[in-house]
Amino acid sequence: MDQVIPAICNVLVLSSMYILAALGFAFLFNMLGILNFSHGAVYMIGGYVGYLLIVTFGVYKWLALPLATIAIAFLGVFFEKYCFRRFVGDFNGIVMICVAITVILQTTVNIMLGAKSLALPPFAEGILAFGPVSISHERIVTFAIGAFLLVLVIWFVNWTRWGMQMQAIAQNIEGASLQGININRISALASAVGCGLAAVAGCLMGAFKGLGPFMGDFMLVKTLMLVILAGLGSLTGIFLAGLVIGGLNAVLPLFMSGGSSEATAVTIVVVLLLIRPRGFFGHEA
Amino acid sequence: MNGGEVFATGPIETKADRGWATAAFYGGLLVALAVLPLFFGSPYMMHILILCLIYIIAGESLRTVTISGQFPMAHAAFMGIGAYVAGLLSKWLGWHVWITIPAASLASTAIGVLIGFPFARLRALYYAMGSLFFGIGVMNIISAFGHYTGGYAGLMGIPPIFIGAKQPYYYLLLALTLLSTLALYRFEFSRIGINLKAIAQSHLVASSVGINEGFYRVFVLGFGSFFAGLAGACYAHYNMVISPTSFNFMATLWLMMYVLVGGIDSFAGPIVGTLILFLIPEIFRDLKYYSPYLSAAILLIIVYVMPKGIVSLPSLIENRHRAQKNKKASGVV
Repeated sequence: MDQVIPAICNVLVLSSMYILAALGFAFLFNMLGILNFSHGAVYMIGGYVGYLLIVTFGVYKWLALPLATIAIAFLGVFFEKYCFRRFVGDFNGIVMICVAITVILQTTVNIMLGAKSLALPPFAEGILAFGPVSISHERIVTFAIGAFLLVLVIWFVNWTRWGMQMQAIAQNIEGASLQGININRISALASAVGCGLAAVAGCLMGAFKGLGPFMGDFMLVKTLMLVILAGLGSLTGIFLAGLVIGGLNAVLPLFMSGGSSEATAVTIVVVLLLIRPRGFFGHEA
Repeated sequence: MNGGEVFATGPIETKADRGWATAAFYGGLLVALAVLPLFFGSPYMMHILILCLIYIIAGESLRTVTISGQFPMAHAAFMGIGAYVAGLLSKWLGWHVWITIPAASLASTAIGVLIGFPFARLRALYYAMGSLFFGIGVMNIISAFGHYTGGYAGLMGIPPIFIGAKQPYYYLLLALTLLSTLALYRFEFSRIGINLKAIAQSHLVASSVGINEGFYRVFVLGFGSFFAGLAGACYAHYNMVISPTSFNFMATLWLMMYVLVGGIDSFAGPIVGTLILFLIPEIFRDLKYYSPYLSAAILLIIVYVMPKGIVSLPSLIENRHRAQKNKKASGVV
């Protein structure tokens, strides 16, 4: 019992962060069929913008989080407009532009702040104790923000005009544009929302696990696994796959060493992908 | 009689037309490559050229796999398998270098063939992603056996092929690169290569005329991973230290960059791309920390100006020239 509740807590925290980071990738993948390999770098730069605002400029931390989110959302609009839009349907072009973006962002961070690991100040301090079980406030706050944003995203995608237009584009891009939906505007919006969510995840994970210029590579791999396991065009799938990947990453290290738990998680994902080549929840496309 | 020969007649005729010029060009290139160490003999320059040759083998084999229409994103992992097999065999079992390099290539081929069967079910993006996860998994498994492989810190103390000078490595790798590119070139324009191109155009049409799609895709993956393993084994014996980070998925992405910068549609693409991406940052070595910006700038120029790679530059210029001429002509009338 002493192990079970912290483990569940870890699963929830990691899953909510993975899902937050993956949603932006999933939006662009579902709508335009783009594999945005620079999403990990966007997540990383989100954390670093938060660090610059809080530590270097001394902005109040609860103000810095939305400011970093808005800044990265504008970056997302820029990327969509000038980088991704012209390479829709061109896998090679997308890979090249994404590697270029990743290299530029990582090098910038490396030159400005160095390659050493930094940490954002924690968003909440203290420990919540229930008898033998104790959970840090940091985790509770991280999970609370993550869960709130995920509920907000569900509302946005299912009940607002823009969200429904996004769904329409994901179902059939030509049909959507025939109905008068402005594809460019909606995909820019999706990119902005996705990059903003990745920035929130970057800031929260930066406080939770520390920042490094190459932290995005790890998150990119998790994001890819999550989105590919979920399949094309399914939001529910993202949530369930996020729980599976977060669960694997939180529970496996309890039973084995770091390297072998990673290897086991990846092996399970490859086997799942071979069982269902198009993901578990997606439609055939 | 067979579909293959109809396609093959085109290039053979043109080759006969300018056989002399081609022979002279390749002969001159060979002589130039052979005497290169006399002019650029500094150990640092030799080091860069040797790495170029290793990555030319790897990039060219990656391009050969892509002619089947699928983009494998585990190619650096196959290099890693070759490197680790060669390193482990020579370090722990004391096998001779001339046995470990073929053994590593064959081990890489075997894993490529084994993984090819289940992966033949996946297509397009899902194949790319599945192979990407496979590559990550292989590197994680290698790191997990830290007792033998050195884990994340890397495997150290691999015996070298030649002690001391770098020139012998250059000549060995030059020979290996020439043989590999020749083999891959012959493969691409053989019947198998033409079948693979047919599969890339439409796997349904290809299977309807009797091309066994699964077999050819497994075959090309095995063939490509043989050369990836060869490159990896040479890298291990040259560098003497290998670590999983040299073969992780960023390494695969960079290997793809070498192919795409040169141009994936042309056989010369990976060679040109590797040389450009290795040598241009070396020319501007004074930039130090800023030199990744240079690589990124090359990628951006390629992707916005010549999306088909550097090899497409002459035809691009020719097209623009012709368009201008047409414009002028129509302006006069």
